[in-house]
Amino acid sequence: MINVSCQTILNCTRNVTIRCANNFTCTSLKLMRFYSAIRTNTQTPKKVTITTLQNLYTNNEPITVLTAHDYPSGLFVEKTGIEICLVGDSLGMVALGRKSVNQTTIEEMLHHCRAVSRGAKNPFLVGDMPFGSYETSSKDALRNAIRYIKEGNMEAIKLEGGSEMARTIHQITSIGIPVLGHIGLTPQRQSSLGGFRVQGKTAKQAIKLLYDAKALQRAGCFAIVLEAIPGPVATYITEQLQIPTIGIGAGSGTSGQVLVQQDMLGIYDRFVPKFCKQYAKLDQLIIEAIEAYREEVKSRAFPAEEHSYPINDDELKTFLDIMKKEKE
Amino acid sequence: PKKVTITTLQNLYKNNEPITVLTAHDYPSGLFVEKTGIEICLVGDSLGMVALGRKSVNQTTIEEMLHHCRAVSRGAKNPFLVGDMPFGSYETSSKDALRNAIRYIKEGNMEAIKLEGGSEMARTIHQITSIGIPVLGHIGLTPQRQSSLGGFRVQGKTAKQAIKLLYDAKALQRAGCFAIVLEAIPGPVATYITEQLQIPTIGIGAGSGTSGQVLVQQDMLGIYDRFVPK
Repeated sequence: MINVSCQTILNCTRNVTIRCANNFTCTSLKLMRFYSAIRTNTQTPKKVTITTLQNLYTNNEPITVLTAHDYPSGLFVEKTGIEICLVGDSLGMVALGRKSVNQTTIEEMLHHCRAVSRGAKNPFLVGDMPFGSYETSSKDALRNAIRYIKEGNMEAIKLEGGSEMARTIHQITSIGIPVLGHIGLTPQRQSSLGGFRVQGKTAKQAIKLLYDAKALQRAGCFAIVLEAIPGPVATYITEQLQIPTIGIGAGSGTSGQVLVQQDMLGIYDRFVPKFCKQYAKLDQLIIEAIEAYREEVKSRAFPAEEHSYPINDDELKTFLDIMKKEKE
Repeated sequence: PKKVTITTLQNLYKNNEPITVLTAHDYPSGLFVEKTGIEICLVGDSLGMVALGRKSVNQTTIEEMLHHCRAVSRGAKNPFLVGDMPFGSYETSSKDALRNAIRYIKEGNMEAIKLEGGSEMARTIHQITSIGIPVLGHIGLTPQRQSSLGGFRVQGKTAKQAIKLLYDAKALQRAGCFAIVLEAIPGPVATYITEQLQIPTIGIGAGSGTSGQVLVQQDMLGIYDRFVPK
């Protein structure tokens, strides 16, 4: 048996790993399998498809989902191996600064979807359908869903609602557009819910949620977002389904989790929901950086020599001489 | 913190205090400009590359610019708001330029516009300023014209080029520009031009002798991955 250090295996490219598998013993293979369970930069990233998601679900491995709204944020989802990149209509608030998501238009969503798709190549791309773009009729919903694929470069769409949306969703999935369902706290309907309030807190509400989830499953959803639902209820619903649930503020018993990128990075200033863990406080860092720029410009410390371009001495002399002559 | 107006900028210029300018492309980036007391917030067409991920700024449409201007204006309330006019939106005729400049004020919530070019744009700029829309000029390395410049190359490196730049700057001043961006010009040339004008110059890669500086927010924060200019 050949002694190979952990670091060597970690640094192996994919090709070398395959050759190693032919030469090394099972012990080494076990070591490689251990390391391949952790995503590292040495692994060749693969395109995430519906099949990838199904395999994760079958293996009971949590599915990671993060929102993006433009090229850089899409690139961050790409570079970190997050499985699903969702272009959420939350961008109406966190990127566009409106007070509600309901003014977001489909044109705006498609614009941002395209930008994200230039950055996020491997993640599975889901575009959120905004308020008003899918409720009027199944045909309207279908037309707009098609636009997400054709014009938005998305691979799937998400829309809010329970059993009342089942027929519409079925029409969309039956023509081959995967649909991510969304029940619980549905932000586009927050005015009728009385605000951003937890759903499923009573037995009656919980039963309705389960009924809705099953209707969405029958309609062909590949997964369902459960938002702001008590953990035990979300866990129960997850156990009753044969498709993954993606939770947000729904406890750790769902098949995956989703967060809004600006919230978890600490970029959005207005409020951060209780369920969103802030993994960074970028707004403070950014403000400090910009303040430093401001100070250095005021003191003329920036730009320094290394940021500036030189000119040939002769050319400069010629220029200044000509200028002097023109003045005389 | 007080609202920055043309008068604020004139006072800074008179007092020889450097003017700070930073780009923004959406609500949060506009808010960061707001919160840090940067004087001018520029919604640059650089967003076509750094926010939208295209390989060039020249595919940016005016509709996209107006969309991003509106988003920025929801965050940046105090800074003086300048919207960049994209390639193709102001070169065809003075009337086209005027119509589109008006859209920036009406639909984009901007207070001024920026467009690229020297003396050949003077007549167009004069029409825009004469109806009360402030214009920020832009000479030197003009990114929308990089294909004719042979790439993102330093301008004004020869006496001949430097003389042309000075001539362009004076034409822009006569046309009514409230300030002029000097991009990628050797420091001594930019300083000389600054001294010859009676309006501020905003430098980027033009040394520390200009009346102010501008940078692209994603570049200076290390967010844009493709390349960062020297």
